[in-house]
This record gives sequence, C-alpha cells and structure tokens, in this order.
Amino acid sequence: MFSKADNSAAWAVGLALVMFFIGGLLTTVVPPLVDKSWGRPAPGLKPYTEIQLKGRAIYVREGCWYCHTQQTRTLVSDTKRSGWRGVDSPISTPDEFVYDKPHMFGTKRTGPDLSRVGGKYDTQWHRTHFRNPRDLVPGSVMPPFPWIVNDPVEFSSLVAYIQTLGRAKDWRPDKDYEK
Amino acid sequence: MPDNNAATATGLRPAEAGPVAHPDTTAKWFLISSICYFFIVGIIAITIAAKFCWPELLGTVPYLSYGRLRPLHVNGMLFGWLLAADMGLAYYIVPRLCGVKLWSEKLGVATAALWNVIILGAVVALLAGLNQGLEYAELPLPLDILVVVAWIMFGVNIFGTIMTRKYTQMYVSLWYIMGTILWTAFVYLTGNFATELTSGVNQANLNWMYVHNAVGLIFTPIGLAIAYYFIPKSSETPLYRHRLSMIGFWALSFVYVWTGAHHMIHGPISQWLQTIAIAFSLMLLIPVWAVVYNFFATMKGQWHQLRDNVPLKFLMSGVVFYLLTCFQGPMHSLRSVSAIVSKTDWIPGHAHMAVLGCFSFFAIAGIYYLAPRLWHTKLHSDALANWSFWFIIMGGLGFFVTLWLGGFWQGWQWNNPAIPFIDTVKALQPIWLVRFFSGVMIFLGIVMFAYNIMATVVGRKAYVQ
Repeated sequence: MFSKADNSAAWAVGLALVMFFIGGLLTTVVPPLVDKSWGRPAPGLKPYTEIQLKGRAIYVREGCWYCHTQQTRTLVSDTKRSGWRGVDSPISTPDEFVYDKPHMFGTKRTGPDLSRVGGKYDTQWHRTHFRNPRDLVPGSVMPPFPWIVNDPVEFSSLVAYIQTLGRAKDWRPDKDYEK
Repeated sequence: MPDNNAATATGLRPAEAGPVAHPDTTAKWFLISSICYFFIVGIIAITIAAKFCWPELLGTVPYLSYGRLRPLHVNGMLFGWLLAADMGLAYYIVPRLCGVKLWSEKLGVATAALWNVIILGAVVALLAGLNQGLEYAELPLPLDILVVVAWIMFGVNIFGTIMTRKYTQMYVSLWYIMGTILWTAFVYLTGNFATELTSGVNQANLNWMYVHNAVGLIFTPIGLAIAYYFIPKSSETPLYRHRLSMIGFWALSFVYVWTGAHHMIHGPISQWLQTIAIAFSLMLLIPVWAVVYNFFATMKGQWHQLRDNVPLKFLMSGVVFYLLTCFQGPMHSLRSVSAIVSKTDWIPGHAHMAVLGCFSFFAIAGIYYLAPRLWHTKLHSDALANWSFWFIIMGGLGFFVTLWLGGFWQGWQWNNPAIPFIDTVKALQPIWLVRFFSGVMIFLGIVMFAYNIMATVVGRKAYVQ
C-alpha cells in the first residue's frame, strides 16, 4: 500500500490525508462532543460585562498572556500558589472558561499565574504596579505600562477584568474579596 | 513490497541535474527576502532578551513593549525567515527532482511578492497591538486570508510541477513537500479560522493542535525534505535505506496530529485526552529515530567530510539537534516531567533548539549550498561561512543549555510553595544575562551568514565552472 505512493502522487496525497485525518478528527472534533463540561458554564460563572470585555481586549493587546498563565493545574504547589491566606485554591476546570474568547491559558510563567488573582489586590495597588512594577515588587521584570495608567478608561476596564479572574468558584471562606 | 534495491535509481539519490535550464527566479526572491527577515527579526530577538535583564528598556513606548515585540519575533522568525527560506528551497528542489521546469515562474514570483506583503503587514499589525490572542495565530484575519491565498499559489505551483514530472518514482523529499502543503492547509485553517468559532477549553484544544503541528507538520516535514535532499547532495553519498525513509514519513503522517493536548498536561482539559496525547507523544520517537538513523548511516565512512564542508556541518549538527529536541518533546509530555519543566524557561530552550538548532540549520545549509549554484559564482568567503557556523552553534548551545538548567531549577523552586514567587524570578536573573549574550553571539553568526550570501550575490563574478 505504502509502496504505491512511491510512484503515484495521487496515492501519496490520498494516503497522507487519510493518516492525518484519523488523528485530526479524533482529537479536535470528538473531544467536545464526548466531554460536555467543555461547553457548560460553571454555576457561578457570569458572562463578561462590556467594561470587563474592554479590559480583556487590553490584556490580549498588550500580550500579558505571554508571561502570565491562567490555570491552576492539578499540582499541589499550584493550588498553594493560587491560594489566599493559607487557603488552597480549587484547581481550574473547563466550565470556568466557557466565555473566554480568545482563551488565555498561556504557556509560560515569567510572572505568577493569574487564574485566581481576582479580588486579591485593590485598584490603588494595580495603579502603582502598572506604573512601575518594581515600586511594589522589587526584583520584578514586568514592563511598566504608563500608557494604560494614564488613560482612566483603559485602566479601569483592565482592573475590572482582572478582578473577575477565578471568581466563578467562591472559595475564599470569609469572602474577603475587593469590592 | 518490492525490494529496495530496485528503487535505487531515484529512491536513494536525488536526481542529477538534467538538461533542463532552470531560471530559479522564484527561489532567488524567496531566499533573499528570508535572509533579510532573519537579520531584521534577529535585532528584535536581542531586544526582547535584553528586556529580561533591563525591564525598563524602551519601557515607555507602547509599540516597543515586550508584549508586542515577542509575537513579532516569533511570527517574523517562523514565517518571515524560516518558512520563506524553506519555500524558496522547495522551489529549487522540486523542479530538479521532477526533471522539469517549475510549473509557472510568474506565479512563483507573485507568491514571493505576496509573501512580503504579508510579512510587512504583520510587522505593522503586531506593533499596533492588533493581536488575535492565540499563539502562532496572532495575525489579524485579513492577513490570515492572504496567507491562505499565498499557500494555495505555492501548492498549485508545486503540484503542477509534480504532475508534469519526467521521473516516475518520487524521491523522499517530494513526499515530504507534498505532505507539508496538504497538512499545513488543514492545520492552518484549524488554528486561524476554526478557533474563531469556539471558546474556552475547546478553543485551546484547537489552538494547541495548530501550535504543535505548525512545528510538527509544517516545519518538520519541509525541513526533513530539505535535509533529505542536501545531505546526499552535499556529501555526494547515496541515502542509506529507502524503507527507513518510508517508515519515517508514514509514521509522522499518522502520529503527529494526536499530540496537541500535551501542551495542557495537568491543566483544565480532560485527563483522557491528556493521556492520549502522552501516548502519541512517545510514539513520535519512531519516525524521529527512523529518520535520524537513516541520516547517520548515510554519513558512515563520510564523517571526515565534515572537516571543511560548511553545509554538511550545519546539516549534521541540525540532525543531532533534531534527535535531542525530539527526545525532549516526548519526555516533557510525561506527567512527572511536565510537573517540573512545563511553563518554565526550559521550554524556550527546547523550542529554540527545534526551530533554530534544527530547522534553521537545515535552511542555512541549503542556502550556503545553493547560493553559488543559483548565481553561477563562488561563495564570497568559505572562512566566513565557517565562522558563522561556529558563532551560531556556540551561541545556540549557550542559549539552550542555560535555559534548560535555569528552567529546571525554576521548576523545582515552583514546586516548593514555601519559596515566594518573586524569589524564583530573582534566581533567574543570571540565567537571562547569559541568554542575552548567547543571543548576541547567535545574532553575530546570522550577520556573517547574511553578509556572506549578500556579498556572493552582489559582488558575483562569472567564474569558469
């Protein structure tokens, strides 16, 4: 069968596509059909508001996702690092990300994971931090973002988005979220 | 199956130059523009490496911030340099292997022009922050459509040439180039168009299928096509075994596409899908080792040629990097290893070994081999070519090894939650400084390479052949 592809371009092409499509279809089209949790929103998950979407677009535009992941993995250390005041964070589940488009899971953690950062720091903290991260976190290598802080609409939208992260699960016992 | 020996005529040797006169205008345009982007995007690469050491650098200019330069570096290197160079080499290789002229030189030149429009459009879009937010698929929709158009133009030309070929049996490189064109079409459509219809984990799954196969089913097969052509050519040795090349090709066509989910090991994606991705990632060792063994066995008794054959130096060190990077890949996908190296600086070390250490080495080798032949002259300087090899490989090794050590160390630190995150950032500062200087060394090698080729082209004299 494979030897025929040596002399016939049609055979080579047909066979190469068949081989490719077996795995291609089984790993892209089938999984969401089998695993319904990929598309069903978590009970506490709300669609983004207009201002939060605007903030999310800034997060995408500035490439924040190249250095910050948004996933608390099934590793003990992840649940501790995403935790808050001694309480471990729940692991991230597919139903928390149903409204995320584009998804912001990320592949690289030059900075800390942000999957549970919502409600941890207040607006004033973010203002100072975006202006110059090293003023609050000495040793940080995050770039400064003065053009965002200097634009009140952009800044408040971005903070509004950040405060939503990880809030689909209400896991902090005394509900000490920033209001 | 027929015995391999029957296939020796074209199965083990790329065809010799026939009586056909090839104008090669398309190949020349693609190669020259790709070398320009290699140099220009190299400057951006050094800039973002410097930002890790000096985070305030260019910090108040939105267009030059890290988050905008990084996608420009990745897209510029992948599509402006490497894919363009690979396409240029394919425009040279395919007509030779078919014994006929390129189907349409005019269509080819138009493709080269369109490709440059796409790359320049990408520079403007990415600096302006017009980023779609998906890795490797950052370019906005209009540019995606142009890429599809250019790819169809490329495909028509290559398949047109293959359809009119004079030699019935197709040499390995032709299978790989045909595979590249077809698989890329579907992989690219999935990553840039199907993702637009989905969100959340479903979108991430399509995104990783694309990201993984951008390397696995675009750069790998076209890179191997180039290696399969230039290793026998530049060493003047026939390929070791035809059947091994078949195992390598058909295993690759089946196994690669299953592995996308290994980018989300331990992440919020179904465990069974992670397990499938891990199993198929391990199976990648089959096509890789078949190909690598074929190349090494081809060089048996011929290793002495590496002493002064610069294209062969690039090719065979590229093969070694291919072996290493494709050993790392399956190992990373194991849950235990992933828990340490995933998301760390190890990963850029691994990615650079694949794209720079392996596939860019193959492309550079092809260009060094072809430049004198395309322009009917001699290489400007053999000594400079040798220096460019040593600068790129030493800088590259410095880059890879430092990031592996740093990334592994970083992963161990992350797994101890008693260490505050910022301390794991501070710990990496010396690693990033070494990476920056290694990057400068790679860049100097690129400058030597680019200058050497440009001087060959611009200052060429007609030598008596």
